[in-house]
This record gives sequence, structure tokens and C-alpha cells, in this order.
Amino acid sequence: MMSGEALFDQCLALLPLQAQATFRTMTVVVNGRDDFTLENYRRVSKGGEPVAIGPRAREAMATARADFIRLLESDRTQFIYGVTSSMGPRAKVTIPPEQQGAHARAFDFRGNWARGFGGGYLDERVVRGIIFARLANFVAGNSKAGPMIAERLAALLDGPLPPVPLDGEVGAGEVLPLSHVLRGLRLDELEEGEANPVGNGSPVSAALAADAALRAAPRLGRAERALALSAAAFGVPADAYAEELGELWGDTDEAAALAALRRHLSGASPGRRQAGQVPASYLILGRVLGQAHRAVAGLTEAARVSLRSVTDNPVYLPPDAAHPLGQALSTGGFHNAMVYPALNALAAVWADLTLLVGRHVTALRAADPAAGPGRELSALAEEARAAAMPTLLPAAVNDPQDDVSSPIFVAYRREATAAECLDNAIALLAGEAGRTLHAAGRRPAPPVRDPLQRARAARKGPDPA
Amino acid sequence: MTVVLDTRDDFTLANFRRVCYGGEAVQLGEQARRALTAPGWSSAAPGEASAASTRAVPAAAAPADSGSAGSGGGYLDEALVRGILFARLAGCVSGHTAVRLAAAERVAALLDGPAPRVPSGGPAGPDDAAVMAAALAEVRRADLGEAERRALAEPAPCPAALAADTALRSRHRLESAQAVCALSIEAFGAPLGAYDAALDDLWGDAHEAAALRALRHHLDGAGTDGRRFHQAPVSYRIIPRVLGQAHRAVAAVEKAAATALRAVTGDVLLAGRILPNGGFHNGMAYPAMNALSGAWADLALVAERQVSALNTAETSGLPLNLAVPAAPMGTYAYGWAASGYVEEARAAAAPALLPAAVCDPLSDVLSPAFSAHRRERRAAECLDGVLAILLIVSSQALFVTGRSPAEPLRPLLSFARSVFLPIDGTGVRDLSADARSLQQALAAATITGRLVPAPRP
Repeated sequence: MMSGEALFDQCLALLPLQAQATFRTMTVVVNGRDDFTLENYRRVSKGGEPVAIGPRAREAMATARADFIRLLESDRTQFIYGVTSSMGPRAKVTIPPEQQGAHARAFDFRGNWARGFGGGYLDERVVRGIIFARLANFVAGNSKAGPMIAERLAALLDGPLPPVPLDGEVGAGEVLPLSHVLRGLRLDELEEGEANPVGNGSPVSAALAADAALRAAPRLGRAERALALSAAAFGVPADAYAEELGELWGDTDEAAALAALRRHLSGASPGRRQAGQVPASYLILGRVLGQAHRAVAGLTEAARVSLRSVTDNPVYLPPDAAHPLGQALSTGGFHNAMVYPALNALAAVWADLTLLVGRHVTALRAADPAAGPGRELSALAEEARAAAMPTLLPAAVNDPQDDVSSPIFVAYRREATAAECLDNAIALLAGEAGRTLHAAGRRPAPPVRDPLQRARAARKGPDPA
Repeated sequence: MTVVLDTRDDFTLANFRRVCYGGEAVQLGEQARRALTAPGWSSAAPGEASAASTRAVPAAAAPADSGSAGSGGGYLDEALVRGILFARLAGCVSGHTAVRLAAAERVAALLDGPAPRVPSGGPAGPDDAAVMAAALAEVRRADLGEAERRALAEPAPCPAALAADTALRSRHRLESAQAVCALSIEAFGAPLGAYDAALDDLWGDAHEAAALRALRHHLDGAGTDGRRFHQAPVSYRIIPRVLGQAHRAVAAVEKAAATALRAVTGDVLLAGRILPNGGFHNGMAYPAMNALSGAWADLALVAERQVSALNTAETSGLPLNLAVPAAPMGTYAYGWAASGYVEEARAAAAPALLPAAVCDPLSDVLSPAFSAHRRERRAAECLDGVLAILLIVSSQALFVTGRSPAEPLRPLLSFARSVFLPIDGTGVRDLSADARSLQQALAAATITGRLVPAPRP
């Protein structure tokens, strides 16, 4: 029987995310940077909840906006990128004071910007996440923009969102993907300093990190369950994952992996083999899964930091004793250097785990070489390894001013490919391990029976439980 | 000086440095000696001992011939071999493994003199088991039991020493990189707002904050006159974030090294029972070295972009190629040379993954640690090359405009010019040899922490 709540959730899931929101009663209220958490990201992106700009955020933006205008009026010939100057490779071109208002109102980086195309599209949940992450730049007033812009951004989450192609989104900063994401944003009535923060900064990296991080932890859990099932099927002695090893190895991530393996193996039929008969691929599980814990934690931390970062260029700093009008500083905040390496590391871990899964299947089949998966696992491992080639800073140069680009989209796609390979490998391993257990008339530990049953159902195999 | 080893906590990066680079000997302390003579494995059931997991560890087919270079490629650095022997002792001193006092003392004694020669394995690199066999070839083992011999040969000290070697070199390399980038900022006249203290909190990352602090330290007292009125190219504004990523990668490899050096690996005896396990496989060191290779490659690319920016008059506002009339090409061709180093660094940043080939059904996963270490060293060498070029070009930019950098950067500039004089068109110089000396000096500083001119050939 399905509960009413579960049935409601399933029916809701059939609707577009924005439409789902109309059936929900919750709204994420953002008052400051600390509200840009992974949990709030999940609520907005996957959960489809709307966002409201809270009163403290509105006040902070209004105050900062007034301060910024005082700074601008004090000297309209000072360099403020995008306000008193043109943009990108034309940054050294000065905008005369009398034209600065028109310059702001003429800004529209969406229609007139050449941008990427092809390669499929970002999932709608990620597009929602980018808009959520975009707001972190505004709520404390560092964007120079008044509350109206943030409210318009938040309102985008109440309607349908445009498709964002995956190819061709590599450039300095993240203006290319943002030009897709923000196609529906109203840009009328913009004033000086309010245009540039719409497309500057690095909210795309923050959102892609958060999206991948939220998917990575459950994936690691599934991998641990399947590998534990495999260990049970092979008959690995439980001591191989003993608690004491956590202290002797001295690493918290490996200790966590060992604990997960013990939890999944609790109550399983005792191992039948002596340690000398167990391949390395089983004995080293705690250490390889430990690396996966480390990589997931690294990406989660990158997402946590990035979501609440102020990355605009120029960034507005409020008045202080040394600068009574505040400052507008040109910075490199638009380049997120933390997320793509974290995605690289995760892709490599998924590739290593995919290879390990293949070794397990080989070991299981060696004892009972009946029909089962084999060749496809080699292919999956090779695909995952190809996807694990790291995404580095792009070698191509667009122009002498915008001379380094962001590789975030490439890293995101490679991690997703490696993850997909691992998902398929896990399903194959679960089926193979289940077949082995069934053939031996043994039972897995209770914690891994459910996923095994799911794998069986998918493969229409026998159910050992 | 002698490093006294009593417990696992004595296996620190600082002690690794003393033993491996300082050449100090080691001595097993009283606490370690007690642990190594306590009843232990000798009372374990023989059946248990023979069931130990080392079947899963690939054994060297035969003791390595320490008098040959294997399939070519020379020998491992002596410091690295000393590090492997040092790390071997870490797993022993607590008494958890089958290694007893006599065997441990024999390993310790190897650190009293020149380290054994260990073949580096040619282009494929060595495998961990063969390295252990070669490193321990001089240890008398005839009187040791089977479990003790296997415990000595267990290969986890290899990745531990490789990670420690990498960690020790990378911290100083990062410090040099920060100083060179700061000099480049001065040479270009980039606005200082991109390194403002407010960004520490606004970006909210400890590693990026550390990079920002380092840049501000080097730029302390830098003047605002004569700087660009508009923002600098991207490569100048993002350098704190790229250096922050390098800080993160260095911290990760330091953690991997510190953890691995004091880890007890191989089969262990606990409460009277032997625990076979996968401790022989280090899952932390090679990903950390991979990440560092990637960080070096990216840093090299950004440094190369700064070289281009300095050489390009339209971008920098400086004389074209920073040339003087007597040497009209100035530093132009160094931009090309930098591109070569960047491409090599990027190739070296391909990650070492778990090897796809299977050794045998039991040893079905091998370690990629040596491969990761070799690639990191190559990426680092290429970074040193680009940094040497950026140092040359920055020095030249200051020379042709008659400027001095901020006070904290003046010793670096003096050092650079002691190796590579500005190109003023006088005399005949081997600019390749001079630049190579600068690269070598940067590499040597990764161990010493001091930039001193490398000896001329």
C-alpha cells in the first residue's frame, strides 16, 4: 500500500518543477548569505519551492544602493567596471557621465550575445538552482543593485524557465550560461550599476556543485550497499573491515567507509573464505570507498562555500572609516576555482569504483562462471576512465583582456558521465552478487536486501530473500 | 642528530624531512622496543598467520637486482628511498604487525649510511612490491618467519613516502609561486583592489583567503601611482582563486602524507587475533597527487597568460615585448617557451587511476602511486619553468620602465637578477642557460625554502 503522502509526491513529480510549487505551501525566504545553504538549494531546485526576498535583505540592498549612488555621484569619472566603463575587452573604454544612465538602460546581454548551443540541455532543477545561487550576490548589498532586481530574479522561479544548452558554454566568467538562464528577466528601468551584476559572478559553478553534491552522497550509499552485497556473496571474512582498522589507518573518511561496510554486512552469512583467498579488490574496499567519502565531502564543501559567496565584479564594499563612500572593486570572483577540481576528483573516484566493481564481478564469476555480466563492465570502466580525464583551465584565449575561461560545464558533464557508468556497474554487480548468493542458498545482510530486490526486479532474476 | 622513534606520532613530516633530506639516522626508542619485544605474533596460530592477506599483494618475483636499473631509467632519488625505509618503521613501532625488534633494527640501520639503490623502472615506473624488495634487499631475513618477511615487504610505505616527498616540496613551491605572481602584479601595474582584504570573507574560503593574505604580504606598501586605471586582465584578477586551489591541493597532499606516514598497514594483531585487511593499498595519496598536478598545470597556464599580457603592449601599456633598442625582440620568445611548458604540464595532469590491467586473480588491483608521483613531478617541473619565465619577464618590465616593486618583493627581484640580468642588448649571453638556472633554483628552493642561484654547469 502506498501512503497518501507518497502518492501525492509521486503525482506531483509528474508535473514541471515550477508547477509543483503551486501545490506546495513552503517558500524559501532569503535574508542574508547564510540562507544560501545546500538544504535551501535542494528545496528550491529539486523541491520546486519559490523564493521570497526577506525584509532584512531588502533593507540591506536599499541601503547599499543608496551608498553606491553617493560613491558614483562623488566622481563619475572614476573607474567602475560596467558603470563608468564599457565591458569585457572594451573595459578601458570610458563612458562619459552623461551617457552612463543610458548605458545601464541599454544593457541586454541576452538577445545580443552570441552564446553556446547544442549538446542537450541542463535539467530544469539545475536552472532553478542557478537562479537561487544568483541571489547570494545581491542580498547583502554587494551587487550595487536595489531590491527590485533581486525580486525580479526570484520571480523567475514562479514561471517556466528557458532551456540551457550544454555545449559551448566556456568563456571568462559565467556570462554565457547566464545569458540563457536569465532570458526571461525584465531589464527595464535599470539604473547605473544594476545591469552588470545580473550576468557577472559565478552562480553557475555554485549551482552545478550543489546539484552534483546532492546526487553524490546517495550514489555513494548505493555503491557501498552493492559492494557490501558483493563481499557477502564472495564470503569475505568480516575482519577485513574491522572497526580497529579505522584507528590504525588514521583517516576519518576510511573509518566512515569501514563503518558503512560493517553496517551493511551486519547479520550476513559468515564469510566462507580465508583471507589468503580474497582478492585485493575486496580487501581494499574500505580504503577506496574512503577516497569516495573524501571526494564527496570535498564537493559538498565546495558547494557550501560557493553558494554563499559574493562573486560579483565589481563588488561593492560598504562605507568604512577609510572609505566613507564605500568602494567598488574589480575582482576575479567570477572565476570559481574550487568547483571544477572537486568535480574532477569525484569523476576519478567514480571511475576507480567502476573498475573495482568490474573486478568483483570477475571474482564472483570465477567461482561460478554461469552467464552474467562481464564485457559491458569493461566498457563501463573504460568510459568512466575517459570521463575522469581532468577538466583544466581552457587552453584557448578569446581576447587579451578575457584571457582565462571557466571550464565548469565540461567538468560537470564529465562527472555526470562517470557517475552514470558507476550507476550501471552497481546495478550489474548487485544482480551478479544476488545470483551468487541464490546459487549458494545464502542470504545477504538485512540492510542490503532491499536494493538487491530492486536490482532483481530490474533484471527479472531470482530473489534470494 | 638522530631521530628517535618511539610511537606512531613520531612519524611526522618534520621528521621525514630530517631523515630523508637532512640525512639524519634513526633510533628506536624504549617504548618502541618494548612494543616490538612484547609477545604477539609468535603466539598467533600458524594457520592464521599463513592466511594473512598478503596473497593479495603482488610479490616481487625475485629480489630486485639493486645493481641494475631494471628496464632502464636510472634509480629512485636517495631521499625517496630513505623515506620508504622511514615509513616502513611506522607500521612496526606500535607492535601491531609481525615485524619484531631485530628486523626493525635492521631496517633502521639502513638509514645509517647511503640508501640502497632502487631501480626506477624505466618509462613504466616501478611497482611498489619491487621497490620494497630492492629497498630491503640488504636486510638479513634468513632467521625471520614467513609472516615477518611478508610484513616487511608489505608495500604501503611507498605511497606514504611519495606523498610526503610531494608534500614537502609543494609547500615551498607554492610560496615561490605566490611571490612570483606578486612581482608580476607589480610589473603589470595591476590594480590592487582584486586582492583586497574584504574578499577573504566575501569569497568565504580559507584557502583563497590564505592566497589573498600572501599576495597582500608581498604587495605591502605597493604604491597606487602608475597603475592601470581600468581593471587588469582576467589572469591577474583570478590569481588569488587559482592560488587558493593550489593551497587546497597542497593541504590535501600534506594531510595524505601525515596520515599515511603514521598508519599501521598490512596484517595486524589485535587482542590475539590477526586482522587481514587492505591497508597495503593507499587510497588517499595518489588522488591527492593527481589534484596537485592539476593545480600546477592550471597555475602554469595562468602564469603563461600573465607573460603574454606583459609582452603585449596593447594590454600592458608597456613597451612591446619589453624591449630596449639594442635588443628589439626583448622577452617575446619566452612567451612561446612558456606555452611549451604549459602543454607539458597539462599532459602530466592526466590522473593516475587504478590500473586497468590485472596482475593475477588475487592481486587484482595495483597501486598507481608511483605513476601519480612521477606525473606530479613533471607538472611541477613545468610550472617551475613557467615561473622562471614570469620572473624574467616581470624583472624586464620593471627594468625597461625604471620601476621598483614593493619593498617585500625586492629580495626576490635581486635574486632573479643575480641569475638572469635584464636583457639590455649588451654582450653575448646564453639566455637559455640563464633561464634554466632560474628554473633549477626554483626547484631547489622547494626543499630548502631559500632562493639561491643554482650552480652554473
